[in-house]
Amino acid sequence: MSARRYEDVEFGEDLPEVLPDVGMVNVKRFCHATGMLAARFMDHEAAKQEQLPGAIVPGIMSQGLLVAAIHTWAPGCVVHFVDTVFRAPLLVDSHPICRAVVTDKDDDTRRIEIDLTIVNEAGETRVMGTAKVEL
Amino acid sequence: MHNHSVMSDDSRAKVENYCQWVHKRGVPIDGFVLSEHRKFDFESDYRSLEDEYGLRILKAAEVETDYGHVLVYGVNEDMYAAFDFSAIRLSLAEVVNEVARCGGIAVPCHPGRTRVGMLAHVRDRGPVEGVEVIETLNGGSRGTENDEAGGLAQEYGYRGIGGSDAHIVSHIGRCATRFADPIETVEDLVEALRGGDYQAIHTTGTEGER
Amino acid sequence: MAIGVDELRSRYVGMVFDSVEVQALRDEMVGFASACGETEPCYIDPDHEDFQAPVNFTTKYHGARMLPDDFPEFDRRAMIDAGKAITWHRPIRAGETLTARSQIYDIYEKTGRSGVMLFLVHRMEFTNEGGELTSVVDWRLILRGGLS
Repeated sequence: MSARRYEDVEFGEDLPEVLPDVGMVNVKRFCHATGMLAARFMDHEAAKQEQLPGAIVPGIMSQGLLVAAIHTWAPGCVVHFVDTVFRAPLLVDSHPICRAVVTDKDDDTRRIEIDLTIVNEAGETRVMGTAKVEL
Repeated sequence: MHNHSVMSDDSRAKVENYCQWVHKRGVPIDGFVLSEHRKFDFESDYRSLEDEYGLRILKAAEVETDYGHVLVYGVNEDMYAAFDFSAIRLSLAEVVNEVARCGGIAVPCHPGRTRVGMLAHVRDRGPVEGVEVIETLNGGSRGTENDEAGGLAQEYGYRGIGGSDAHIVSHIGRCATRFADPIETVEDLVEALRGGDYQAIHTTGTEGER
Repeated sequence: MAIGVDELRSRYVGMVFDSVEVQALRDEMVGFASACGETEPCYIDPDHEDFQAPVNFTTKYHGARMLPDDFPEFDRRAMIDAGKAITWHRPIRAGETLTARSQIYDIYEKTGRSGVMLFLVHRMEFTNEGGELTSVVDWRLILRGGLS
C-alpha cells in the first residue's frame, strides 16, 4: 500500500525533481547487472568512435531512474505501466534532472498517470514518457 | 497550433487531460489544435470539453513530405481524398497546392530540424512556391533550430506561427500563436493564417529555455 | 525498398518467433535497482520479505533471435533503440525462471531526424513457472533508412 493516498494527490502536482547518478561508475554498475556491456555505454572514446558525443546511458536505465523517482515520491505505490521514448542520447557523466508531474486521475481505478521527462543541463528533453501508477 | 493526442502513434496524451492542464496551470491560451501524425481525426467531437473548459479545440493533421513535416489546416473530405495523408514521401509542392485548392493552408513545421524540417531542403533544392507560413517557434525544437526557422522566414518573407508540438500533457502551451481576431472555427483559423495578423509567441518556453 | 511495409506487416505482425527461458538472479535485481536509485527496500534489500525485481527488470532480456529467421536482411548498425514500454502484472522473485516469448507486434514507417525510419515493435511476454504473466515489454526499434 502506498504511503501517499490517492485522495491527497492533485492533478498537475509536480513530483520532487531528482538529480540521478549517471556517472561512469554507476552506469558501469548498471551495465554489469544487466549484461549490457557494449563499449558505447562504458567508454567515452569508444562511443565517439561510433559517432556519439560520448558514452550514453542505457535507455532502460533512464527508464529505471524515472521509476525510482516515482517510488521515492510515493513509497509502496504500484507502477503498472511505464513507457519511455529515447528522444536523444543521455550522456554518461552529465548532470540531468528527472521531472515528473501528475497528468491524470482516474477515480474508478484509483490510478494516476504521470508525465516523465529527463532533461539535460541545457534543459533539452532527452527521455520522455508516461507512467500509470496505483496508489 | 501543433499538438498530438493518443490518436498519434507516439503520443499518450488524452485531450481531456490537455484541457485540465491548461485550466489547472493557467496556460495563457484560448484553445489548441490537434494535429495528428499522418491522419485526420474526423470522428472525435470535443464540444463538451470545449464547453466545460472554455477552450476552442480544433483539428488539423501533420503530414510528411520531401521537404519535411507539414501542418495542414482546414482538412475536409475533398482534401483527404486528394492525397494520401498516411504516406511519408509526399511532395510538398503537391500538398501545398492540393490543400489550397481544397480551401485549407499548409504550414511546414519545425523547419530548422534535421531532415524533417524544411530549411535544409530549401538550401539544397530551393524554395517551394505557394508556401506562405511556416512554424517559426516549435516547442520541441532544440538548440538554434527555432532561430534558424526565424531566419528562413525572414529570408523568404514567410509569416510565422508558434506550436507546442506536445506529445505529453505537460508540454501543451509551450509555444502559441497570438491572433488579432478571435478564432472560433477551422475556417476562421485558415482565413486568419492567410490574412497575416498574428505572431508566434513563447508561453512556458521551448526546449532548453525552462 | 525491396519489400513494402504492407507486405512486411502481413507477413510478420503477430508472428511468435522465439521462446527462451531466463532466470531472474538476485544480484542482478539488486544491481539494476540500486544503480537506478531505487530507495524501496523491496527492490534493494534481498532479505526484505517482499523482495522482487525492479518494475522494468525484464526490459534487459533478449530472446535467442531478435527477428524471425526469414526476416529480410538489413544493416543491423542502422538500428536505433527508440524506446520501451513495460506493462507490469505481478512480482518476479529471485531465482524464478521466466519464459519469454517474442513476437513482432507492429511495423510502420515514418520520417524523423534520422530520415526515413522503419519502426519494428518487438513484444516480449514473460510468464513465470506457474504460467502467470509477469510483464509485457514492447521495444520500439528504428531501422534508419528502412529496408533498402
